[in-house]
Amino acid sequence: MTSTLTPPTGTGSDGDDSRPPRASRLTWRQRISIFDVKASPYAYVAPFFLLFGLVGLFPLAYTFWVSLFDWDLLKGQGDFVGMENFWAILNDRFFWNSIRNTISIFLLSAIPQLAMALLLAYLLDQGLRAKTFWRMSILLPYVVTPVAVAIIFSSVFNEADGLVNNLLNLIGIPDQQWKHDTFLSHIAIASMVNWRWTGYNTLILLAAMQAVPRDLYESAAIDGAGAARRFFSVTIPSIRPTLIFVVITATIGGLQIFTEPRLFDVSNAGGIGGADRQFQTTVLFMWELAFFRRDFGEASAVAWLLFLLIVAFGLVNFLLSRRVATGDARGGRRAARRAARKGADA
Amino acid sequence: MKLSRHTKVAAALAGAASVALLASACSSDGGGTDEAASDEPITLTITTFGTFGYDDLYEQYMDENPNITIEATNIDTGGNARTDAFTKIAAGSGLSDIVAIEEGWLGSIMEVSDTFVDLRDFGIEDRSGDWVDWKYAQATDADGRVIGYGTDIGPEGLCYNGVLFEEAGLPSDRAEVAELIDGDWEHFFDVGRDYQEATGKAWYDHSGFVWNAMVNQLDEGYYTADGELNVEGNAELQERFELLGAATEDGLSAAQAAWDWNGGKSFVDGTFATFVCPGWMLGVVQGNTEAGGGDASTGWDFADVFPGGAANWGGAFLAVPETSENQAAAAALADWLTQPEQQVAQFEAAGTFPSTVAAQDELAANPTPNEFFNDAPVGEILAGRSVGVVAQFKGPDDSVIQENVFGPPLQKLDRGEVSTQEAWDEAIVLLDELVG
Repeated sequence: MTSTLTPPTGTGSDGDDSRPPRASRLTWRQRISIFDVKASPYAYVAPFFLLFGLVGLFPLAYTFWVSLFDWDLLKGQGDFVGMENFWAILNDRFFWNSIRNTISIFLLSAIPQLAMALLLAYLLDQGLRAKTFWRMSILLPYVVTPVAVAIIFSSVFNEADGLVNNLLNLIGIPDQQWKHDTFLSHIAIASMVNWRWTGYNTLILLAAMQAVPRDLYESAAIDGAGAARRFFSVTIPSIRPTLIFVVITATIGGLQIFTEPRLFDVSNAGGIGGADRQFQTTVLFMWELAFFRRDFGEASAVAWLLFLLIVAFGLVNFLLSRRVATGDARGGRRAARRAARKGADA
Repeated sequence: MKLSRHTKVAAALAGAASVALLASACSSDGGGTDEAASDEPITLTITTFGTFGYDDLYEQYMDENPNITIEATNIDTGGNARTDAFTKIAAGSGLSDIVAIEEGWLGSIMEVSDTFVDLRDFGIEDRSGDWVDWKYAQATDADGRVIGYGTDIGPEGLCYNGVLFEEAGLPSDRAEVAELIDGDWEHFFDVGRDYQEATGKAWYDHSGFVWNAMVNQLDEGYYTADGELNVEGNAELQERFELLGAATEDGLSAAQAAWDWNGGKSFVDGTFATFVCPGWMLGVVQGNTEAGGGDASTGWDFADVFPGGAANWGGAFLAVPETSENQAAAAALADWLTQPEQQVAQFEAAGTFPSTVAAQDELAANPTPNEFFNDAPVGEILAGRSVGVVAQFKGPDDSVIQENVFGPPLQKLDRGEVSTQEAWDEAIVLLDELVG
């Protein structure tokens, strides 16, 4: 067909330049072509939004609907109670306990994890021999499912005969209460998260670092900047957008920790996060409410409060990491953006 | 389209008719399942938990009924099976054709008993006399619908380690042990104090299981018979709690993590000397001892005695959900699995004590020694232990009270972090927060 236009390419160009020059009297077919050019891009991106609406937006809205009712897991919808579920949760000491635990575990995991990932990415960026081997080995823990990780670490941190306590005993430290002491249990759980996610973040950061133009390093070196100075003044500012991406995904993931505390000690009511809820995270609290105590209404309220919390945290992180990572290497910005795109693809 | 729908209906009708034939054939001779069954291949799914001992029975059933394929799932603990079942009931789909329901959370299921088919439609009434009467009554809801075929019951005896008893200068012969322990809980703990004094070691594994046993033994537990919460101000319950607390404060508890027991090693290295054993727990004891590297020589034995008299803990039912597409075939399988003959086979595989009278009589009449438990005739002993058991009413939140309300304070008590009074107070606070 002569009038068939080439469909717009995936680069996001709107296809303006292929518009037929004669604007006077358009045939029916031409009109369709124009409509095609203008509307098709939306059709191409529509599946994502449809899917998002179906599995993202709808559950979000429906959860809010459920949170307004007395809603038993088994018996289903009950009386309308308005915001009562929210007030009940806000006055529930276990909710606040879970928030404290979540934030503590999040900080204990996100900060060392990102620092470690940055360092590892930097090392991997240094032209090692057998690069692929090192990169693959760093990603390996990510391949293991969280359930397997939790079960293995639960045994490693076993209080009576676990590997960690045995090792500590070797150097004269007595057995530690990994599953009963609040702080120690947070460390144990954070270590699972770190073990699994450090490699993943490393690779994303590595991809970004590789996109930093080498001549920047060269000129910095000629100007007399040492390795540390180059890292902080060239590398970090150049990979800023990727860093923000990694920080935000780590935040979202960190605030939704569930599998690790759920399976860390299953001897208490099948795993509610310790006898005294020492390591019950908010998602685990929500699970206990919904599937153990069968209160779907309150659990939905928790889900919404957690959603708001994550949004707030994400915003704070975004602002913080923007400030922290803003360096003086303006020239590296475009490269950084390119790197971010590459990183996101990785 | 229309045609196919017709054929579907016709097929369904034919299926129902043949199953009705089958069911009547079943009830007339009490067992045969091979007549008149449609040869249409049917896949039945079944979900059980813990050690159920059904694997060989599935094979046998599939051999006898070539058109049936059984796909079985076994969930590690009753607690996880509960979550699994609840989630699927809430979702409205996903339940297998046969679901094993534990007595502890039967109370919750009874609130939505219409999720499961009325087994009277499949002839369970003709068999009602098979079971001990309270088992059949437990599976009957307020409207008289019967939703479960009883599998096992949990009469409790005492597992003890004969080797450890001997080392402590206590009798180790099971008849003598029965005599030694015979009495109330206070007496049981006193013997434990003697043991502890002689060896410095704990008497029982952790307070939680002992507490379950103590509560289950009462006529009314966490709920009264008419379904009212019965914890706060329940002097009988509190008195038992204080007995247990005093014993624990004296160091009789080994403060073990339940369902872990240090990977089973605690059953082997002499951490504790006694263990409360409902029938189904025998399989758990054996499994954990073996996982911990032990065997029959580790010394576990089973005595015909239980502190405070007869008690029941647990037991299960097989139910068929309304969502099942093969209700009749599923009911036929569940029916077959709970026949006395199969219950005896199940007992031999997993130690679960039968809920049918004929099977119980059989075990009592033909005592077979259990190699692992120092050749104890466990079937005969459990038959004796089941005499005088009364079913306790299980309320909707029974399992939450057991696990989430009393579990944590008891664990803290075990670890010496709180006193008995503090533990009880905390349980009451938790009760108010979680259930009240």
